[in-house]
Amino acid sequence: MLDIKNLHANVEKKSILKGINLAIKKGEVHAIMGKNGSGKSTLSNIIAGKEGYDITNGDIKFDNESVLEWSPEKRSLNGIFMSFQYPVVMPGVNNTYFLKAALNAKRKHDGEKELDAASFLKIIKKKLQELNMDTSYLQRAVNDGFSGGEKKRNEILQMLTLEPKLAILDETDSGLDIDALKIISDGVNRSRSSERSFLVITHYQRLLKYIEPDIVHVLIDGKIVKSGDKDLAIELEEKGYSWLEK
Amino acid sequence: MVRKVKTSNYQVEFKKILDSDYYSSKFKSVRNKAFKQFLDTKFSSKHWDSLRFTNLTALKKNTYRLCDTSDRVPKNFDYPDSIIQEKYRIVFYNGHYQNHMTSLPDSIEIVSNLEYHSYPGNKVMEPSNSPFDILNTAFMDSGMCLKVENNRDIHKPVLLAFVNSGNVRLMNSPRIHIHVGKSSSLKLFEHHIGSQIGNFSNESTFISLKENSFFKHTRLQMDSESAINAVNIHVEQEENSQYNLSHFGLGSNLGSLNICSNLNGKGAECHINSLCLTKENQHLDSQVLINHNSSHCTSSQNFKNVLKESSSGVFSGKVIVHKNAQKTNSNQSNKNILLSKTAKMNSNPQLVIDADDVKCSHGSSTGEIDSDALFYLQSRGINENSAKSMLIYGFIAEIIDLVDNHYIKDTILSEFDKWIEN
Repeated sequence: MLDIKNLHANVEKKSILKGINLAIKKGEVHAIMGKNGSGKSTLSNIIAGKEGYDITNGDIKFDNESVLEWSPEKRSLNGIFMSFQYPVVMPGVNNTYFLKAALNAKRKHDGEKELDAASFLKIIKKKLQELNMDTSYLQRAVNDGFSGGEKKRNEILQMLTLEPKLAILDETDSGLDIDALKIISDGVNRSRSSERSFLVITHYQRLLKYIEPDIVHVLIDGKIVKSGDKDLAIELEEKGYSWLEK
Repeated sequence: MVRKVKTSNYQVEFKKILDSDYYSSKFKSVRNKAFKQFLDTKFSSKHWDSLRFTNLTALKKNTYRLCDTSDRVPKNFDYPDSIIQEKYRIVFYNGHYQNHMTSLPDSIEIVSNLEYHSYPGNKVMEPSNSPFDILNTAFMDSGMCLKVENNRDIHKPVLLAFVNSGNVRLMNSPRIHIHVGKSSSLKLFEHHIGSQIGNFSNESTFISLKENSFFKHTRLQMDSESAINAVNIHVEQEENSQYNLSHFGLGSNLGSLNICSNLNGKGAECHINSLCLTKENQHLDSQVLINHNSSHCTSSQNFKNVLKESSSGVFSGKVIVHKNAQKTNSNQSNKNILLSKTAKMNSNPQLVIDADDVKCSHGSSTGEIDSDALFYLQSRGINENSAKSMLIYGFIAEIIDLVDNHYIKDTILSEFDKWIEN
């Protein structure tokens, strides 16, 4: 599904990614662990199509097509989703309006009929319940005045609504208390299927107790230095990262 | 910036207005005095610091003549449905008050400007806050006075329509007086609709709010793309009165909004909200002066501009808290989004405080669309253009949401859609 080959990227001439190779198959859950500054967020931003990165070498293929020239919206419409580490606050932009526009853009792209307000609300209310979110959320502005936990729940709500093929969860656990972490993990776990892949990016092993990965990668200084099964995460928790650094 | 505006044309027209004996002779000296002042100070930024960043190109390009009898409403003229359908309305055509088109509830008294000034007690006002003010005093040629008695609530908004039509460059200078009596309330929706080639409309409005009165003033400026629309609003507020102005500047090539509010009575409130959407080479200017002359008064200014292409704007807001105005609560904000590299905004919020027990704040910011927010929306499958308009709408929504009348709101929203699409 996702195939990253020898990806090199700079930010303002500073080399951040130094040859990433990563292949995620349909239905797999991969985790990338690494310290601050190792390039985790750069990698997820580049997959989602954020501007400001200079890709000097390598390629990202999604369903066998290179996405490097694709706009962020094209990537999204084709099934790539990123849950933001820092969701953007948008005063004045209504949640319902935003979510409906996003879902209808997707439906239009997929050749389905766009939803009217009533049928949209029906769908969204069910998903709100799943994430233990109040319906008053629908009247609020996107992430405006949201607590850290609410913002992350909102990201997962968007994921559940858009039903992507690949979901990248960028530090979705940061700033969450244990209850919120559990609600979010349950939401993610329910949406796991043989058709959907995940890339979970995290600092700590904590999240991976709830969302069990098939493969764990360790990212140090822009390179994947080690890959293994979920036990690697436990090992990292015990030993830290230094034993893997040169 | 164009500095020099020729005045020879104004001199020709001024002679005409003096010769025409428009209004009674008591106006002559007032007009002469104002016109002399105009010739001394013109539109020069040496005299008018507030004009330093104003783009006066439109004033330089055009020569205007005054309305005469040939400019009367043509037979078979169709007023827009939006006017005809309104129950309570006051109509101006090319700056001239149309008595037969006007319909009002009994609790509102209306007289023409001529009649208003025929009462011995009614002085001719001579404000001089801006060159437009002075020009209006020199050239005033029509207008009306609207009066709400004490203890009346006018629930239904009154439409005040200024229709500009025809293909001559006309200068009109209406003068409006609005009195809201003790414990009364009035909602006025002022709508400027223009289809005329380059008219110059220069309106001066004098608002007097008595004790405990409430006046909600919504102003939608949709003059034609080549027009000049200037308005000079003067507000005198007594104890516990409230003035709310929501201004929407969408039309005209040069727009100038000048407001001066005097909070004279304890506990008076003045809230001014403005939204300007500009394009091409439009220039919309806002000059605000709030005088806190009494204690326990509240004022707020929330001005937002979104500028496309080579359009430009000015916000110059000043709050003066005088010595006796303790417990003043004032806040002033100007936020702007530039949608192109050639758009320009000049913002100058000012606070002068002479009292020591006050709560005042002010701030200004001008920038581009937040690229992180844009990426966020795009990453959810929303295309770049829709994402931009969603963010711009989000930015201006708080001003539009102040409009509680559905018709007005829909008009503003459809103008917004047109503006964003082009």
